[in-house]
Amino acid sequence: MDLFLQYLANGVVVGSSYVLVAVGLTLIFGILHVVNFAHGEFYMLGGYAGITASTAFGLPLPASLAVVAAVSCLLGLGAEALLHRGLKNQDQTSSIIASFGLAVALQNAVMVTMGPQPELMHTELAYKAIELGPVFLPAPRALIPPAMLIIVGALFAALRWTWTGRSLRAMAQHETVARLCGVKVRRVAVITFMLGATLAGVAGFMMSAVYMVHPLVGNMIVLKAFIVVIIGGMGSPLGAAAAGLLLGVIESMTSAYLTNGLRDVVGFLLVIAVLLFRPQGLFGRSLERS
Amino acid sequence: MTRAALITLAILAVGFVAAPFLLGGYELNVLMVALLYVILAVGLNLATGYCGQFSFAQGAFYGIGGYTAGILSRDVGTGFWMNLPAGIVVTGLFGLALGLPALRLKGHFLAIVTIAVQTLVYLGLVQWNSLTGGQNGLAVPPIGETTLFGVRLFEVTSLRDLYWVALVMAAVFVFIAWRLVHSRLGREWVAVREDETLAGAVGLNTTFAKLTAFVASAAFAGGAGVLNAHAMQGVTPDDFQIWISCMVVAMMVVGGRGTFMGPILGAIALTILPELTGELARYKMLIFGVLLVVCVTVAPEGALGRIRKARESRDQAASGRAPAKDPSEASA
Repeated sequence: MDLFLQYLANGVVVGSSYVLVAVGLTLIFGILHVVNFAHGEFYMLGGYAGITASTAFGLPLPASLAVVAAVSCLLGLGAEALLHRGLKNQDQTSSIIASFGLAVALQNAVMVTMGPQPELMHTELAYKAIELGPVFLPAPRALIPPAMLIIVGALFAALRWTWTGRSLRAMAQHETVARLCGVKVRRVAVITFMLGATLAGVAGFMMSAVYMVHPLVGNMIVLKAFIVVIIGGMGSPLGAAAAGLLLGVIESMTSAYLTNGLRDVVGFLLVIAVLLFRPQGLFGRSLERS
Repeated sequence: MTRAALITLAILAVGFVAAPFLLGGYELNVLMVALLYVILAVGLNLATGYCGQFSFAQGAFYGIGGYTAGILSRDVGTGFWMNLPAGIVVTGLFGLALGLPALRLKGHFLAIVTIAVQTLVYLGLVQWNSLTGGQNGLAVPPIGETTLFGVRLFEVTSLRDLYWVALVMAAVFVFIAWRLVHSRLGREWVAVREDETLAGAVGLNTTFAKLTAFVASAAFAGGAGVLNAHAMQGVTPDDFQIWISCMVVAMMVVGGRGTFMGPILGAIALTILPELTGELARYKMLIFGVLLVVCVTVAPEGALGRIRKARESRDQAASGRAPAKDPSEASA
């Protein structure tokens, strides 16, 4: 039972990072209908920006976080121009291919500038730990779930109660009507991409103190995020949040009680099952498959 | 289109036949890889370009073909000429399995399932140690001597010999693709792509059309995979990651999906161009990524698709004038 709780906690930590990445991905998909394959690179670059700021420039953590957010916003701005504005009036598979190109370009740009060796963010936090009954978590891990809750909570509140949030939701429901009601579509698109990139960047930043970051780390992350988005129901941020935690816990339990080899496999099996039997996702409402 | 395609094919054929007499080992190797990608891209074009079913699993089928060859060589001791049909059949069956979800899903949902399948296959190859040799992969014997009923026909030893095998195989597969898309089945695929409901309404079996498109597309990749395994004398899971699938999709899209020559030219161009970067070799993949974004942004229908569209609008403008004359003639 004690071990079970520890596995659960580990799952929640990893799941929290999935939530941050997947919520951004699902927003970009739900609002702009862009399937963003380069989303894992937002995560990867967030990690590198954080490591560079905190290790190379010796900035304190809050300042590093600000650097990560700034870099992510810039990335989001650029990605929107390429993947959304650049591909207006094209079918949705174009965005898959263009974002794949962007992912390859970003990965290799980082490979050339930073080198292929994996890096870890070193902070003084790493020497502290939190013990909750039988659960033992080093501080960098323990901070991730509460940080995720704060960020996602703030995001949902903003989506619900601010004008920007309302215009985002309006766009997700019906672009033409939203435009008729005076929603600035360009602005919404840029904000959506910046939000998505920042969420992923912050996740990458926080996880860089837990797992090594390397130029290709985004490959698996983006696939995991897609799993989460499908299980949660495409375009549903709340579903993505729930499914992200679920996937993290399921992976942790699989590697603990079955074999570690199945850890990455289980999510894909889940996706195929969900798409075959409940294509709208576990938490999605509308059934629209085409 | 047909005549232009035939002329292009003829020019390509002459170039590829002349290559072994003119080029060195490195260039020939690049061309052989290009031929493998031609098979992959032409195969993918059957499902995606003609039947409209997006697939990011071509790399997985490529791998399944290769591993079929590797496992058969290891456990049964068969050679290339037995493995080739076996690999094609096994991969075709996997293609059928992938086609089943395609009956229920469309567009990017289908694309994402194929991505999931692609990743599952990769992870399976890594994890199923006893069957696949895990991360280290399998050694595959070279093609070597070929005999028929005990009579020695020829021997494939050098890179040059391998290149000829690849060229013949690519030619055969391209010919099969040509026959397929110009058959009744090929027209059914196009009908499903254009309007599935309508295709069903006029009595076409859309289920059959979609499944055959997936099987054909996978079988092509399986054939290429078997050849690749014997040519490289080994297979490892990392050769069959999702990036291979994306690369093949990119080749098809850049060349022009749904055109016959597009994927062929796309595969050749995207294999050879990165090799020409020379000094800039370390920026090769960076340039590739940027090129891909630019291509999709500038010409989403691909190079040949763009040409075809331009010609169609020109023809339309020309025929648009012709009927306008008719009423005046009638009144006159």
